[in-house]
Amino acid sequence: MRTSPLDARHRSLGAKMVPFGGWDMPLSYGNGTVSEHLNCRSDAVVFDVSHLGTVRVEGGQAKELLQQALTNDLDKIAPGRAQYTHLLDTDASVLDDIIVWWIDEQTFDVMPNASNTSRVIEAISGQDTTESRAILAVQGPRARERVRTFSDKAADVPRFEVQRVEMFGTQCVVAGTGYTGEDGIEIAAPLNVAERIFDALLGAGITPAGLGARDTLRLEAGLPLHGHELGPGITPLHAGLGWVVAWNKGDFRGREALAKIRDAGLDRKLVGISTSGRRPPREGCSVVSHGNQIGTTTSGNFSPILNHGIAFAFVDLAHVEPGTEVSVDVRGTELPGHVVKTPFVKKRIG
Amino acid sequence: MNIPSDLRYTKDHEWVKVSGRTARIGITDYAQDALGDVVFVELPQINASFSPGESISEVESTKSVSEIYTPLAGTVSAVNTALEETPELINSDPYGDGWLCELEIGDASSADSLLDAAAYRALVEN
Repeated sequence: MRTSPLDARHRSLGAKMVPFGGWDMPLSYGNGTVSEHLNCRSDAVVFDVSHLGTVRVEGGQAKELLQQALTNDLDKIAPGRAQYTHLLDTDASVLDDIIVWWIDEQTFDVMPNASNTSRVIEAISGQDTTESRAILAVQGPRARERVRTFSDKAADVPRFEVQRVEMFGTQCVVAGTGYTGEDGIEIAAPLNVAERIFDALLGAGITPAGLGARDTLRLEAGLPLHGHELGPGITPLHAGLGWVVAWNKGDFRGREALAKIRDAGLDRKLVGISTSGRRPPREGCSVVSHGNQIGTTTSGNFSPILNHGIAFAFVDLAHVEPGTEVSVDVRGTELPGHVVKTPFVKKRIG
Repeated sequence: MNIPSDLRYTKDHEWVKVSGRTARIGITDYAQDALGDVVFVELPQINASFSPGESISEVESTKSVSEIYTPLAGTVSAVNTALEETPELINSDPYGDGWLCELEIGDASSADSLLDAAAYRALVEN
């Protein structure tokens, strides 16, 4: 079990720890997941996401290597910007969904999910720098305002941009990215300043939040999670993420198989479902219409903002229209619901 | 860990308070802490009858579902309807406003075989 550079801090804050992707990480702190979730939507929280991978890809061939490995087109952005993209397997399944931080001309930080880091390194080579840093995701409508109290430069990194920012005498990388639907930044901090930055964030009135809230927030924001909405047998097209596929940039891993799937037509698509009442739909539940199973949920929970259940599900094409009435079978109880557009909760940022 | 001395307990982390032939049931501080934020509670129907060990309620948090088994035989005489709108009472006041339901029990002494506070504390502290 791997531990974060901030492990001691979490324990001293009374965090409940949970194993995730091979790491021991905070699930929640003293006031619980719902309180952390609501703080993120109304004020600002900090997540320790040091368990995510960082693969540094450098050199004159770096950009071309990534263009051939990943689905999105780096020519849409430029050094100093970040991009969401997919790594496909040769059968066009999504091996991982990834944020790329293009730090300078020949330097990229590729950020896989914790459990997929080794697979991503196999596909793109590069240097695994995960152990050399902590990553702190500061999210919420007051995130930048609070960070500004000790770092103007970090607070001002614009949405989807990436900058080197000196904090407490050490060069960090700060990106205007996140996974909550709220504004905010992510700070990649070398080990020698990780605790100092974490303490400064808490000192600025930013409250710590754990993986429990991270999951309820990303679900409300309509964001996919690999292992649920993405994974073996699922392409970006099935998941409604066709926009990450740059068909015209040239060949990339999985393009041939994906084109065949595109041309043959899809048999199912990912939709959002809102259910009635407080009982949470969960993953792996049947989605039912007129007594027949027409799909299966991939994620589900109670939405603290909406006060009812929400879920992602793959359903057959006859049931993808928003407004379609369906029910979700949760351990034998049929929850009435209907298909909705995502995000479930309107994103506050672009 | 809060473990009131005047209650009885089960190894499944329920508490029981017997007054005459009425047994009030809930889950312990240990259980609510392990569950996390409760977002939904399924309560039994009034007048439903249960044997010991039958599932009488379900308590759901953001991360998991917990079945609650009645430690005693009885018929449901009351349920805590406040939990419909405010299930988080189970977290904030598990022995008070977070109670789940009440049963009319046949035999008041049936609670005597349950764990007392000292025995329950020994269980959770190991």
